[in-house]
Amino acid sequence: MRRYMQTLGKKVFLFVTSVLLLSVLVFYISRLAPGEPLVSYYGDRVEKMSPEEQEWARARLGLDAPIYVQYIRWLQNAFQGDFGISYKYKMDVTEVIGGRIVNTLLLGGTGFVLIFAFALLLGVVCAWQEDKLLDRVICKIGTVTGCIPEFWLSLVLILIFSVGLRWLPSSGAYSIGKEADLADRLRHLILPLFVVVISHLWYYAYMIRNKLLEEVRAEYVLLARMKGLRKSRVMFGHCLRNVLPSYFSIMAISVPHVLGGTYIVETVFSYPGLGTLTYESARYQDYNLLMILSLLTGITVIFCNMAAQAVSERIDPRIRMEDQNRYEEVERL
Amino acid sequence: MSAILEVQNLSVSFDTPRGEIQAVRDVSLAVAEGEVLAVVGETGCGKSVLCKSILKLLPDIARIKEGHILLDGVDITGYRERDMRLLRGKFCSMVFQNPMTALNPSLSVGAQIAEAVKVHRPRMSRQDVEHRVVELMDLVGIDHPTERQKQYPHHLSGGMRQRSVMAIALAAEPRLLFADEPTTALDVTIQAQILDLLKEIQARLHTAMVFITHDLGVAARVADRVAVMYAGRIVEIGTAEEVFHDPRHPYTWGLMRAVPAFARGRDSLYAIPGMPPVLIDPPKGDAFACRNEYALAIDYEEQPPMFPVTKTHFAATWLLDERAGGLGVRAPAFGSFREKNDGMCGEAQRSKVQRNKAQDAKQSLSADTASDILLDVQHLSHVFPLPGQENLQAADDVSFQIRNGEIFGLIGESGSGKSTVARCIMNVYKPTDGQIIYQGIDVCDAKAFRANKKMLQSTRQIIFQDSDASLNQRKKVCDIIAEPMKLHHVKPPRGTYRAEAAFQMRAVGLDAGYLDQYPAALSGGQRQRVAIARALTMEPALLVADEPIASLDVSMQAQIVNLFQHLQKEHGFSFLFIAHDLAMVEFLCDRVGVMHGGRLVETGTVEEIFHHPVHPYTRRLMEAIPVPVWCSDDTERRQNR
Repeated sequence: MRRYMQTLGKKVFLFVTSVLLLSVLVFYISRLAPGEPLVSYYGDRVEKMSPEEQEWARARLGLDAPIYVQYIRWLQNAFQGDFGISYKYKMDVTEVIGGRIVNTLLLGGTGFVLIFAFALLLGVVCAWQEDKLLDRVICKIGTVTGCIPEFWLSLVLILIFSVGLRWLPSSGAYSIGKEADLADRLRHLILPLFVVVISHLWYYAYMIRNKLLEEVRAEYVLLARMKGLRKSRVMFGHCLRNVLPSYFSIMAISVPHVLGGTYIVETVFSYPGLGTLTYESARYQDYNLLMILSLLTGITVIFCNMAAQAVSERIDPRIRMEDQNRYEEVERL
Repeated sequence: MSAILEVQNLSVSFDTPRGEIQAVRDVSLAVAEGEVLAVVGETGCGKSVLCKSILKLLPDIARIKEGHILLDGVDITGYRERDMRLLRGKFCSMVFQNPMTALNPSLSVGAQIAEAVKVHRPRMSRQDVEHRVVELMDLVGIDHPTERQKQYPHHLSGGMRQRSVMAIALAAEPRLLFADEPTTALDVTIQAQILDLLKEIQARLHTAMVFITHDLGVAARVADRVAVMYAGRIVEIGTAEEVFHDPRHPYTWGLMRAVPAFARGRDSLYAIPGMPPVLIDPPKGDAFACRNEYALAIDYEEQPPMFPVTKTHFAATWLLDERAGGLGVRAPAFGSFREKNDGMCGEAQRSKVQRNKAQDAKQSLSADTASDILLDVQHLSHVFPLPGQENLQAADDVSFQIRNGEIFGLIGESGSGKSTVARCIMNVYKPTDGQIIYQGIDVCDAKAFRANKKMLQSTRQIIFQDSDASLNQRKKVCDIIAEPMKLHHVKPPRGTYRAEAAFQMRAVGLDAGYLDQYPAALSGGQRQRVAIARALTMEPALLVADEPIASLDVSMQAQIVNLFQHLQKEHGFSFLFIAHDLAMVEFLCDRVGVMHGGRLVETGTVEEIFHHPVHPYTRRLMEAIPVPVWCSDDTERRQNR
């Protein structure tokens, strides 16, 4: 129990320091980037302002102090739950994000689940049917579709299904005035979701297939077959069981990839999610908003990586920290 | 006695892109209820394939071309996976070679045994299964089964893992057990235990067993009958008594002579020349003809049929044909080489005595000057820090000396710290404590090491156990051999690096035609020769070989050990030979150190260690050496017969 608390404490400490470090980096780098933050707050009016007025505006937004002072000020406010306002939307940052996050979760979350469910399914099917027709067909399709860049695929799909066939909407998350209409939302989701899934699916499907095939060739499979076990039992009870820990951790580690993919797709489809928001905030020096968005993404990534490790430790007895497996490491030398 | 397994004219082939590999060719044999049949032969002779084809465990590219397999009178040749599943475990089962990889690392041992119990008895209650698992673990001699069954394979030692595999194989009380080299991957002492256990269980459960091994000593210990395989065919089959005491096939003679215990007190080990053929395009006539010193002209033309020697003993060699003038009927060759050897024995003994004398003289001469000592290991300790509080003491206060031109053998079980010592000597590990003085230089001292770096690196060379892993797969043989010279900017004495590599290859008995090959194209023995050639290019003063023969066949082992002996005589380097094969050490080395649990428990000359061991552990080791029947004292009994 004490050991458990220790490990937990260690992890929490690591987590907090990484997040702090990340915030420093984002804060500093975003202010080093060229561009005029006042534009995002005052719009075109900035051009008509005199230098004195600009100076005054800067001081009002707290942009005149040295960066480290700004950072400390930001940190103090952040600890009190005040993350500042978005220059562009003139609203509390949390409110801006709150309005968008559901959309992204809907797209990214569903996409994520679908990607890994399908990848697992395809991987197992391919491994089961190794080198038979089905396996080869799936692999060929995967190679071809896996090579298509997301933005291009999105544009082509829009061209076909929205412009040509007029079956599906080309942009947005819902039609105006139909925010609560689930069917409408789903119709808007189909294209972006398809692009997100298709562009990530194959990588993970191949991974499962190859890892399974590696396991199938291991000697313990011969012993398992020698016991008289069914193929399905060997495949699921032995091989898949040994593949899953690494699959789970890869799943967790891949969260940023999928997230990144979602952001691109969001931009192409003008889907009002965090992706478009991040892009805008970085483009218009909307510092406060960018800060929180980056931190949010960062926290997700760090958390997922830690979760990945925890998951594999739970499943695979070989990497459980408190185990004696270290002996073996040394013995093997 | 009815046959539980009958194989009739079985031929198995693999379809590969390079052609059809005829791995098993026209094999017929039968195993009776409760009988142990040992199948012996070198690697690549089709022993494993034979066994796996009976069990239908081969990959899809393998197919049974011809013949029938009958289990208890039922023809299972055409059985598919679904039908085989019902037989596996229950009727026939198998123990695999490598216990390290045969168990699923992520399931507890108990769960894996329970699985085997449950397959054929799905209605068994959980308590009953658990009870049965404990019973099985007890049967195979695992102590504390109730606690052990919760452990994972990586918690167990090699021997324990092999016992677990046996428990799995025996779970459904099969009537026929296949054992594919079950002791090869284990230490000598463990080997003996596992063999005894297998034999005991086999007798108690009255299980028939097919025992595959390349070690004739092991075969002699367990088998009722023996089948000798070569190039996919059975060349000799008979009762153990008949095959070991009255062998008729030249290949059997060769295998028996290649056992190191047979070479006791002789100049060199007998090795069958050459290698088994590649079976893509098997040679015309007898496949063994080109390695056979007794080959007749007809051997190159026509495959010999099985000649009966007695009612139970058959051998496929033309020597037994009546046209051969009764040459083989009397089987003089085995007897005659024995006599010849007895003659040689004295001579060899004398030469070894002379060598020892010379060395003694040398020793007494230089004892006071101590300049004769090349390597002096003093109180060497090495500790591997483990995460957490514990540490692993891999080497503990080890002290020994190696003199110039001496072959020092280091023996002990795996995990006893032999490799750690070798790696400390080679500066791979930095020892925690102690000193290693090489030619008066403390190699562990960073400053002294830097000052003599070039000399230290070029005059000490190492050869590893696994030649497969120690040679870069992406480099040609000639580049591999020449690399040390290039690294140290040595001007090749024979003009070019290529010429130098070719010269070294000839020195280790490799054809220069291999210069442009990649290591993957070579066999294990040839790769090890490349590794030796690479080490020799620098004209080392000290050669360290870490289990250089452990992964090779008996006959290849003999070739390599002979090569070591020859090279050492020629170059005069000091040689640290690490092995767990005691008979080889006895044959090759001048002095021996015995390691146990990180400590050097005994050092002495070969004579002292092997004939008058003092430490109890050394004694235990010596008792575990398998002495094949045909090398032990009952030879007299046989000769009197």
